Amino acid sequence: MAVAETEITRKVVERASSGARTKDLLFRASLLLCLFVAVLFLGVLIVDVAIDGVPLITPDFLTNFPSRLFPEDSGIRPALIGTLYLMLLCAAFIVPIGVAAAVYLEEYADPNRWYNRLIEVNIQNLASVPSVVYGILGLAFIVRGPIDIWGLGEGSPTLLAGALTLGLLVLPVVIIVSREAIRAVPPSIREGSLALGATKWQTIWKMVLPGSVAGIATGVILALSRAIGETAPLILVGAIAFRLTDPTIDGQFSALPIAIFQAAGEPRPEFQILAAGAIVVLLAVLLLMNSVAIFLRNRYEQKW
Amino acid sequence: MESTRAETGASERPGVSASAGLPKALPAVDKRDPSATKQEAIFSLTGVQVAYGGIPAVEDVTFDLVKNEITAFIGPSGCGKSTLLRCLNRMNDLIPSASVSGKVLYHDQDLYAPDIDPVQVRKRIGMVFQKPNPFPKSIYENIAFGPRVLGMKGDMDEIVETALRKGALWDEVKDRLKTNAFGMSGGQQQRLCIARALATDPDVLLMDEPCSALDPISTGRIEDLMLELREEVSIVIVTHNMQQAARVSDMTAFFMVELDEGEKHRTGRMVEYDQTEQIFTNPSNSQTEEYVTGKVG
Amino acid sequence: MPDSVRVQYQETLRELEERTLGGLDLVVTQLDRTVEAVEQQDIELAEWVLGDDDRIDGRYLEIHQSILSLLARQAPVAGDLRLIAALLHTIKHIERMGDQCVNVAKLLPLAGHEPPRHPELLGKLVQMGRLARAEVIQSKQAFAMRNVALAEDLVKQDREINRLNREIFRGAIDIGDDPDVREWAMTVTMMARAFERIGDNAVDVGEQVAFVVSGLFREFTDSSTPPEPPA
Repeated sequence: MAVAETEITRKVVERASSGARTKDLLFRASLLLCLFVAVLFLGVLIVDVAIDGVPLITPDFLTNFPSRLFPEDSGIRPALIGTLYLMLLCAAFIVPIGVAAAVYLEEYADPNRWYNRLIEVNIQNLASVPSVVYGILGLAFIVRGPIDIWGLGEGSPTLLAGALTLGLLVLPVVIIVSREAIRAVPPSIREGSLALGATKWQTIWKMVLPGSVAGIATGVILALSRAIGETAPLILVGAIAFRLTDPTIDGQFSALPIAIFQAAGEPRPEFQILAAGAIVVLLAVLLLMNSVAIFLRNRYEQKW
Repeated sequence: MESTRAETGASERPGVSASAGLPKALPAVDKRDPSATKQEAIFSLTGVQVAYGGIPAVEDVTFDLVKNEITAFIGPSGCGKSTLLRCLNRMNDLIPSASVSGKVLYHDQDLYAPDIDPVQVRKRIGMVFQKPNPFPKSIYENIAFGPRVLGMKGDMDEIVETALRKGALWDEVKDRLKTNAFGMSGGQQQRLCIARALATDPDVLLMDEPCSALDPISTGRIEDLMLELREEVSIVIVTHNMQQAARVSDMTAFFMVELDEGEKHRTGRMVEYDQTEQIFTNPSNSQTEEYVTGKVG
Repeated sequence: MPDSVRVQYQETLRELEERTLGGLDLVVTQLDRTVEAVEQQDIELAEWVLGDDDRIDGRYLEIHQSILSLLARQAPVAGDLRLIAALLHTIKHIERMGDQCVNVAKLLPLAGHEPPRHPELLGKLVQMGRLARAEVIQSKQAFAMRNVALAEDLVKQDREINRLNREIFRGAIDIGDDPDVREWAMTVTMMARAFERIGDNAVDVGEQVAFVVSGLFREFTDSSTPPEPPA
């Protein structure tokens, strides 16, 4: 009797599982297919670029100035240095302002006040505004117009202006990520600190911020990774492709995305290929930055 | 666990008529034997009320907390005992909608006077919370945090050692002061929090259900610690565990919660305040009797 | 569910009180038999009393064990704690009262099979027994109803027993020269003393009633102070 029961049970279980198993397999297969498609395009692109671009990467390529006449002598020096300067200035701008804004919103703002709620809502919106709009903003207010930085009258498409514009672009991201990091610090830590007699500011400076540093740093690096590749704002702000001396803060500047844009638009194929080289360099810098972000996050992440 | 205090003995309470029913809610009266030597009051509360957004959470609290004793606040959930505790070190200031009225005197000074600095208040009145909340730093840094932010002078190593000794933790951690506090067990973490609070040299320690997240052995160690600390520090403990209140405290205050007429809001009030022994052998108020014997709450 | 644990506990407490007070009923039954045995010189009835004391002793052990268990597991406080302390005392008094009945029953054969020599002395003894019985019943009522006035009244009742005890004692002294009669009179005084002790135990139970109600323990009468003159 017992034997017959187990027989029946086994058959029922098998039947049930064989139907379920097929569905499971189909589901997994379709997920893999989607992943494959997404990766495929990216892969093809990278491989194509790499094939063309990697042979171009020579020390000369990195240190030479661009040339309109001799493709074999053309280099991305000003673009590379310009990008690096842009990132440094951008970081110097977004970190203090972004973190301070996040601290205000998380620690001091009374969520019941209408203006604070307004700010809340709009930060999310600002993060999704197209970058070209920021470019126009930068052109109108930083390069020309009221905040005409160097007072040149006709406008000053300077490196600083470019950095500020990019900064404005990614500032909402920094604020959002910093808020998350600050919010992740449990209230019990703040209470503990305050109960010991620390002031609110001491608590923030010595407890909350150190505890959220990893999150903030990761956020900043991710923001910069986005900024590094933005082309539209730089075009509008007046970045140039051909600069024959090293960039300065107050002079016209170049950047990798601009170099790529320019090279890709060249009618002459032997100059067109230079874009591939620049792309490879840009991707390499991007990869490096993201790796640093991941390293920081894994190493210093605070588990509460 | 012998009490070393001079007991006032079984006080004769004249005129307790057995047949007359006791009224439902007597006004809270200080029941200690007046002929005993007058002990110094460290806190003196008169008509204290705490409200959140205008709705009273606890009201009409009047009593004196005695120095160098352990006082327990007991009562059902929502009766305002934690809220009242947080009044004593002005932690309610941190809640924007909270308002405190009535008089809270600490060493005969009005704790809520406009010229009183809450930071100084919290230096002298320490607090330990229900869930241990060590900082994500080393053990040393945890202890040193308080003295540092308050600008205390002196050899920091010494201050840390003294605090850890007072917190009955020194021997266990003296070889690993620089390790992260999160590596300790729950009971050790809570003793760390106690030591951390003691580092600023307070004369009062407020404890909000300090053992509710701990196992019985850790609880026992902390109770032992409380009895040791009593010599130097006055302790107020909020607890849900009546056996704990009975074991450890000298005085017990019982709070009850009432619904208002509209049946919407719960307000707490202090019903009885007496020596712990009295509360647990022969409470004057029938509500206290019902609560401690478990018939209610 | 916590609710039912609490309810169970209250139930247990109530049962404990019932069982304890039931012990007083057992004492009353024993007393009835003892008094009848004395009146009727019934040796067999006396033997029954001896045998039946086991029931009272058994009840004592049962209550004692239940109280220990309750103390260990429920940690009672306040009114519950006082009740349990009072029940522990009361069951001890009950056990003692049972023992006193046994003492009287043991003395009966010694009084001999002859008819009683002094009906007056015997009458007083029987009267003492009946008064003791009334006191035990009153003490049970006082406890069950938590009536302190009724408990305090036991003192008055007890004075009557004490008076009869003294009279029996005096009567025995003056009983004459016949050694048999004198021997009989001695046993009667000893029985009287046993009944008087039962009365005292009943008063003690009354004191427990006052303790449960008020939380104060005090003796209704202190044996070291001289008795008040009869009202």
